[in-house]
Amino acid sequence: MTSRSSQVQIKPNYEQVAWKWMRYSGLLLIPLAWFHVLIQDVLVGVHQIDLDYVAMRWASLAWRVYDFLLLAFAFAHGVNGLRQVIHDYVPKEETMRKISWWLFGFWLVISTIGAIALIGGGRQP
Amino acid sequence: MDSIKSTLNGFVRYRLNTGNLSFVMHRLTGLGTLLFLTIHILDTSTVYFFPSLYAHAIDIYRATPFMLLEIVLVFAVIYHGINGARIAIFDLFAPAGWRAGMEARTAIISLTAAIILWLPAAYLMGRSMLIHNFGF
Repeated sequence: MTSRSSQVQIKPNYEQVAWKWMRYSGLLLIPLAWFHVLIQDVLVGVHQIDLDYVAMRWASLAWRVYDFLLLAFAFAHGVNGLRQVIHDYVPKEETMRKISWWLFGFWLVISTIGAIALIGGGRQP
Repeated sequence: MDSIKSTLNGFVRYRLNTGNLSFVMHRLTGLGTLLFLTIHILDTSTVYFFPSLYAHAIDIYRATPFMLLEIVLVFAVIYHGINGARIAIFDLFAPAGWRAGMEARTAIISLTAAIILWLPAAYLMGRSMLIHNFGF
């Protein structure tokens, strides 16, 4: 009688979850990021964008939710991608763990700044 | 450091094929977009934190070198999306796509599709740059 049957069910480890998450978030980001780029960079253009334009966009809750999704998915996708690239060049797991924590802090700080601005909304100087 | 050196070494000696071309392009377009995204989150955040600075931030984006970089950025976002969709669909739903012939063919299709989608965008952005920055 073996007691090893519990080993058959392997809980997916962090890297497997991250691998899958990169693919699903990537698929979601195609419409999210493309429409954002199409509207703001190509159709509106940086010369029409100013404080009033951002205030007008953020007056709509729908656009704020859109921007929030973009902030959440795009930046996390990007920083995790950076982590995966760095991992290929850092063979030492101990070093990699330290770098991962730095990247996590970087992600948390920038995301928090962006989220506060999104929630706070536009202000007049 | 050694692993970076050996990567660069191997990269020079390796015969470039469609597989590693799209691998390198996927990473470069991803890292480039992340660099921009980081700056972009911070500059947009000035709308709330330091609204008087926002006009200055936007002025930088309106300068010609940055408008040219913006055109490159749009290519990066389009290519990374199309090639990423290829990777995600093959990995998650259709592993047969990674067969050698199919892999090479779809790598070329991704690049071609990205260029075709990018050209009209590049035209509109280039036109906007000529109008606003060069008085056309």
